[in-house]
Amino acid sequence: MRRRHFLLASAGAASAATLVACSSDDGGSGEAPAAGAALVVDNAFDLKTADPARSFELTGALLNRQTYETALTFQGSDVSTPVPQIASFTISDDARVVTLKIEGEHKFADGSLVDADDIVFSYQRLQGIKGNPSFLLDGVEVRKVDAATVELVSADANPALPSILPNPSLGILNSELVKANGGTTDDSDGAETFLNGQSAGSAAYQIDTLDVTSQVTLKLNPAFVGTKPTYSRIVLENVPPATQKINVQSGTAQIATDLNAEEASGLAGGRTAVISQASAYMIFGWFNTDPRFGGPVSDPLFVQAVRHALDYAQLGELAGAGSVQPGGVVPSQFVGTLAQDPSNTYDVAAAKDLLGRSSYDGQEIQFLFSNDVAVSGVQLQILAQAIQSQLKAVGITIALAPKPSATSLDSFRSGEFQAGLAYWGPDFPDPSNYLAFTPGQNVGLRAGWTPQSAGAGEVVTLVDAAKAASGPEARGAAYEALQRQMNVSGPFVPIVQPAQNVVTAAGLEGVELNPIWTMDLAAVR
Amino acid sequence: MPRSGEPLTAEVAGAATVPPAPRRGRHPLLRYVSIRLGISVLLVWGVTLVTFVMTNLVPADPVTAVLGDAAAADPEVVAQFRRELGLDRSLPEQYLLYLQRLLHLDLGTSAQTRRPVLDDLREAVPATAELALFVLLVSVVVGVGIGVFAALRHRRFADDVVRVVSLVGISAPTFWLALVVFYVGFYRLGWFPGSGRLDTQLVPPPQVTGFMTVDSLLAGQTATFVNALAHLLLPGLVLTLYTVGLLARFSRSAVLDVLNQEYVTAARAKGLPGRVVTFRYVLRGALLPILTVVGLSFGSLLSGAVLTETVFVWHGLGQYAYQAATRLDLQAVMGVGLVVGVTYITINFVVDLLYAVIDPRVRRQ
Amino acid sequence: MTLVSTTTRPRRRVPEALRSPLTVVGVVVAAGWLLVVVLGPLLQPADPLAQSPDRLAPLSAAHWFGTDSLGRDVLSRVIAGARISIPLSLLLVALSASVGSLLGAVAGLLGGVVDEVVMRLADLVLAFPTIILAMVVAAALGPSLTNAVIAMLVVTWPQYARVTRSLVLGARDREFVVAGRLLGIGWFTSLRRDVVPNVAGPVFALTTLDFGNAILLLSGLSFLGLGTVPPTPEWGLMVSDGVQNFTAWWVAAFPGLAICSIVLAFNFIGDALRDALDPRMQKAVGSRAL
Repeated sequence: MRRRHFLLASAGAASAATLVACSSDDGGSGEAPAAGAALVVDNAFDLKTADPARSFELTGALLNRQTYETALTFQGSDVSTPVPQIASFTISDDARVVTLKIEGEHKFADGSLVDADDIVFSYQRLQGIKGNPSFLLDGVEVRKVDAATVELVSADANPALPSILPNPSLGILNSELVKANGGTTDDSDGAETFLNGQSAGSAAYQIDTLDVTSQVTLKLNPAFVGTKPTYSRIVLENVPPATQKINVQSGTAQIATDLNAEEASGLAGGRTAVISQASAYMIFGWFNTDPRFGGPVSDPLFVQAVRHALDYAQLGELAGAGSVQPGGVVPSQFVGTLAQDPSNTYDVAAAKDLLGRSSYDGQEIQFLFSNDVAVSGVQLQILAQAIQSQLKAVGITIALAPKPSATSLDSFRSGEFQAGLAYWGPDFPDPSNYLAFTPGQNVGLRAGWTPQSAGAGEVVTLVDAAKAASGPEARGAAYEALQRQMNVSGPFVPIVQPAQNVVTAAGLEGVELNPIWTMDLAAVR
Repeated sequence: MPRSGEPLTAEVAGAATVPPAPRRGRHPLLRYVSIRLGISVLLVWGVTLVTFVMTNLVPADPVTAVLGDAAAADPEVVAQFRRELGLDRSLPEQYLLYLQRLLHLDLGTSAQTRRPVLDDLREAVPATAELALFVLLVSVVVGVGIGVFAALRHRRFADDVVRVVSLVGISAPTFWLALVVFYVGFYRLGWFPGSGRLDTQLVPPPQVTGFMTVDSLLAGQTATFVNALAHLLLPGLVLTLYTVGLLARFSRSAVLDVLNQEYVTAARAKGLPGRVVTFRYVLRGALLPILTVVGLSFGSLLSGAVLTETVFVWHGLGQYAYQAATRLDLQAVMGVGLVVGVTYITINFVVDLLYAVIDPRVRRQ
Repeated sequence: MTLVSTTTRPRRRVPEALRSPLTVVGVVVAAGWLLVVVLGPLLQPADPLAQSPDRLAPLSAAHWFGTDSLGRDVLSRVIAGARISIPLSLLLVALSASVGSLLGAVAGLLGGVVDEVVMRLADLVLAFPTIILAMVVAAALGPSLTNAVIAMLVVTWPQYARVTRSLVLGARDREFVVAGRLLGIGWFTSLRRDVVPNVAGPVFALTTLDFGNAILLLSGLSFLGLGTVPPTPEWGLMVSDGVQNFTAWWVAAFPGLAICSIVLAFNFIGDALRDALDPRMQKAVGSRAL
């Protein structure tokens, strides 16, 4: 899960103080150069590093997308089908072997060509560093076949791998350059500092200056083989949402990425345009199934009552226009998503009936959430208060337990907290990412859900079926069946998928939102 | 921060560490200085201990605060992370390591920025210092001016004005005042730049002092200088409203105090003109206490800065501290604590010295 | 330049400082707020927790102060907020004054190692900006009212300790106390008879001034998400809700004004009290937490 959107303005150190000012053509004389052909993008930073193999934040994905090409990619907003970028791919029938074949010429900034060695090095480095995104290639063996071919062999069926490869963390680095600057494929790697200072990729842009807390500027990659982008300079600046709105209104910035629906709604037309679509974030309620920690909420009847006690329409309204209620845990853009499910519908009478049959007896339920997090501009703190008031209407008393995200994640991950509100952003756009929500898996365990839990058996059978299914249709059907069962006996209540709202200066073209890397700036005209 | 205008260790001189009567032949001032220095060093050590203990009492695990979900579920990734931060050792061991590294000016690596804390601080401290110095400059001129004026015209009205101004300044919650100023000055009127230290379009000047205004002047970029100054205005206003009141009050009472001194009465009795008495005797006499509170208000400015910087996205020490505290970035929290603590102790040390130099009674105790 | 350098028995007559118009304003405003605390629910036009679809509604006859992002009546929440911030801050100041004064008195009376330890600890706490220290403590313990109070206690006791200690030291060495000790009166008796009366006045003046600080610190912590837990109508928390909606200025404006008015009122009173109890105390500038 990516961490995201801190409520108050982000990060600490002084702005831009170490930036090397005045690019060489300016010679440091006289006034600072005017903006010229710069594209200014306002973003609420969650940036930590520009090293793709270590980066796993949204701003990092946005940045790495502009500076590194990946083997495969997605076209615009469509994340259902991976397409070639550096290479084309084939996947074996048993879904264990993905073969990448480099297509055409791709050049790093020093003019050298991208070859199989670069792909192998980049992937093995990601695995060996043991950083945040290392798990993307867990259990995958990377082999060079010839100068233009790489084979990725998984121990078990891995049908999601082609959808994982477009992740910007899997950007292809110039292996010789990175090795010369301390890069290795194990945890002794020391190339991060180097990669924070300059880029080693074959995409349209390169890092010019980088300050993870305030601003990143990009310049053109002179050797880039693709269409030359319209903008020769890009400024990514860290700005809180309220200021983003003013900046884009006044023309200070051309793109603002973090406005919530309410703020964005007034900006359509005139000097600004709004692009809005459902984000891939899914906000869900969870209830611990382990009686030791969950108490009354571990009763499946209680969770079912909650499913009917929530007024999803009202919660969706709070989340703003463009948000949707996901039928299951898989978001609306992905294969296997569930459009809607009668288990999760607002029905006070049914809720009261179920609650009456459950073991709940008016106890106060501790409800955990991060109070410094806004998901696509939707504050969890506001949603939590609305949920509290809705549940009260059917007779469920919850006490809010807000914590800063650092500590709240800790409590959630311990698997010992009673209940709460959380959110999940996809690591890669494939329903298999959501197997984490099943019994005995990462997220499932946080709600105390194990294969031994009551009613988990049927879910486990459906999980196996979903894993075994191949081909989009069969997989889609299997995942839908799985989610229906999870909505009956599982501890997770999918609540809302907020809208992603990007505001641009009027007349700006080529802005296509992507749930993984926000947008491709080289395509902006 | 100083809860009141008194220097941190002034009373120590009075009672707690009353040294035995000085032996003949030893310079009493030297002795006084060495004792004060010793106490300051001890306090600095205490600061390292307190920051370390405080940050390690945190029940939450920094691992989860920094690593992503999938990574935190992987024991190998977690082990690697803990090793990097030295979290796999015992607490006393960690503290000794911390002290050892401190002597080499190594403050550790921030978990959130993944850079050496010292580098982060090197950028954050000048940002806050620039704001604070700007505020001090304005407040001293305005605050001391008002205070002295009120004291010299010691009438009810002027007195009440100073009292109201100073109390209003310290009564408004900084975070709210910052919001009001931000809303009115930037959002509503759009007269001033809102957040940051410089407009995005401008390329920051090469870092020399870390002060945007000074660096842009050094680089000969007047437009950048004007812009940087404009960015200082709104957050500066918020903090000034507080400091002006503080200084006005203090200057007023300091001057009043001196006015009652015998030597001033004597000067008057000698028939010296009023202006001469005012400038040569009264203001000189009040200078030291005023300087003291100017130094000390620097410390309290840091507190105000935490909330002001959060609102104005001023990437300074305050914002860094807030980020570090809420994200459990322990090394960064310790770094901030150390910088702030040492600054405060140093200011106090200097204040104590000034007192000893000016007022011989202090060192004779 | 100690905060209090002379110790006198409190004067009985009403001093001039207490009759100034500012003091009167302070007393009137503070009394008004105390009335709000007492009458609270009777004054609220609506349930401060009741949500409605009428979100972020501007000022109107139905909602004098508008509504917040969950459609709750801001006026009712500001009134309800008084019942949270004011009693809690009183409690905090009482706790802080008791703990701090006790430690200060013990340090002053016993001297030696105890004195050193207590006062150095106080110095250490004072060497940190209040809000940063409180922030770390609150972040570590997790946000809740109790933890916020603990965090605030940790950062506020030293000033009481220092004032009390210096008062005790002053009183201890005065002739009548020394004489009493020589006459065989126990130190506890001497503490009660001679020291407490000298200490009580200044400490009381300090608590009045400190009450404002307590409100500011509590609301500051809540503003940062480290204090009160929603949906509690706490003023700092309400201001932080307003940060997200700049177009709806009323959400943050009114709770902020509430904080300003009560803190200002208590500062007026405390200021006058301080002048009245000891004119020399004027020198010590008004303290402030945030």
